[in-house]
Amino acid sequence: MSSTTTADHHDEHHDHGPQKGLARWLFTTNHKDIGTLYLWFSLIMFFVGGFMALIIRAELFQPGMQIVDPMFFNSMTTMHAIVMIFGVVMPAFVGLANWMIPMMIGAPDMALPRMNNWSFWIMPFAFAMMLGTLFTDSGGPAGGRTLYPPLVLQGGDSFAFVVFAIHFMGISSVMGSINIVATIFNMRAPTMPLMKMPLFVWTWLITAYLLIATIPVFAGAVTMLLTDRYFGTSFFNAAGGGDPVMFQHIFWFFGHPEVYILILPAFGVVSQIIPTFARKPLFGYASMVYAT
Amino acid sequence: MIKFKPVAVVALIGCLLTLLPMRLMAGWDELNMTQGVTQVSQDVYEIHMMIFWVCCVIGVGVFGVMFYSIWRHRKSQGAVAATFHESTTVEIIWTAIPFAILIGVAIPSAKTLIAMEDTSNAELTIKVTGYQWKWHYEYLDSGVNFFSTLHHDHNAARQLGADVDLSQFEHYLKEVDNPLVVPVGVKIRFLHTANDVIHSWWVSDLALKKDAIPGFINENWTVINEPGVYRGKCAELCGRDHGFMPVVVRAVSQDDFASWLQQQHAATDSPKSRQAVSTTSSNDVQPQRTAVN
Ligand SMILES: [Cu+2]
Repeated sequence: MSSTTTADHHDEHHDHGPQKGLARWLFTTNHKDIGTLYLWFSLIMFFVGGFMALIIRAELFQPGMQIVDPMFFNSMTTMHAIVMIFGVVMPAFVGLANWMIPMMIGAPDMALPRMNNWSFWIMPFAFAMMLGTLFTDSGGPAGGRTLYPPLVLQGGDSFAFVVFAIHFMGISSVMGSINIVATIFNMRAPTMPLMKMPLFVWTWLITAYLLIATIPVFAGAVTMLLTDRYFGTSFFNAAGGGDPVMFQHIFWFFGHPEVYILILPAFGVVSQIIPTFARKPLFGYASMVYAT
Repeated sequence: MIKFKPVAVVALIGCLLTLLPMRLMAGWDELNMTQGVTQVSQDVYEIHMMIFWVCCVIGVGVFGVMFYSIWRHRKSQGAVAATFHESTTVEIIWTAIPFAILIGVAIPSAKTLIAMEDTSNAELTIKVTGYQWKWHYEYLDSGVNFFSTLHHDHNAARQLGADVDLSQFEHYLKEVDNPLVVPVGVKIRFLHTANDVIHSWWVSDLALKKDAIPGFINENWTVINEPGVYRGKCAELCGRDHGFMPVVVRAVSQDDFASWLQQQHAATDSPKSRQAVSTTSSNDVQPQRTAVN
């Protein structure tokens, strides 16, 4: 697939291998390359988020304040959570999905390889934008990972960057999910009905639907925060007739499915590995599918 | 296989022996959830322990079967994988058992939750308002009200770079200038709200924790059984000094509470001038606290 889509560079010698160097990774439409990019990104973000956790634990080693300012501490907890959820766990599973789903269902690649490339390459920019706010005068976001108003509206202008970054992360996740759903429904080998799909594919199918259903709600909620902060609306401002608890309801409409988004692919991984190494078929496949 | 069995038995006995000396259990009360000093906190503790032991039994059962299966059926011992993969009976059983356990823990939990919400017939109502970063207490029946902030000495010591010997503080960062004073044996209703961002007024010995949300009034209640000083914190991230707005509740006898209330009134020229109350009361509480203690 990748060799045909990159045919617009006019090689005289018929070299249909991948491009060399940076261009290979920037322009790749190969599902394994993109899966690898996702997994590397996830690992790097794991160290970034882990470093933040080290700062948090070092400060908490003794009561009182020893190492960092409370605002910086709060932005460490906030960023640690966002980095670990959106930058580590979710990309790690999208990376695994990119690698495994086409091979598990007998497809040559993902259904939408160019969108696959795009949905990955949005993410480094989203995180660069969010992590970059740490180096601004007003510091990083410090209102907690749940972004509860009114506290989150008190921060500096890093807030606007975080909202924009969350929009990017959301677009990336939704595009990845659309790609996975399209691949699973359209590119299975002819002999593979839904109820014969490997369980990892099943769990990712459900995860992808959860993402498509909940990420736009979260994006809407942070947009309402943005307009509250900069355009004088009062969605969540009690003094203006709004309701701070409404944000919590909207946030957890996303937040509760999100925990399943984070765990379902892992259940799928376990359901592949254990039967393989126990050398026996998965017990109760049908009920596992329905439980998913 | 016989070769491994004595090792396993010795290891098991060793594990049990290490559990026997009660010295190892000495720190348990500090690790475990507090039993508190109210009926509700006692109920919460008992539910916690019941669910804890249910989890222990489930954990030992599930992991026991799992580790035994892995150990017993390892390839080096020539184990041959079974090929069965469906059993409706087993699936019904292991769906029904967790369901029954959940119902079993939901009933006492629901009872306690309902009891927690019943704020009727309170004899004393205190409005608690969260501010960045202090608490304001108002005794609605008598009009006495004051702010409660982190104790000045603690606040000075906690500053970055402040080179202070922290061992001089018995309750470092858990001391306030004006503690909330309440009577024991009386049903007290708390009304929670906030002035700026969301806070949460949390005192674990009283099993009280309620979000304080600007524009909303939440309520909860307590009857404290034992006089004493009970400490808590703000439990909802509220900005820079979220970690430095402790709660201190001093529960005193009803007579002491009445005289304390009198003193608060006397210290105030007129109950309407609230600024005056909050500043003068801070001077008056200190000597009185040592007297009661
Ligand atoms: Cu607070």
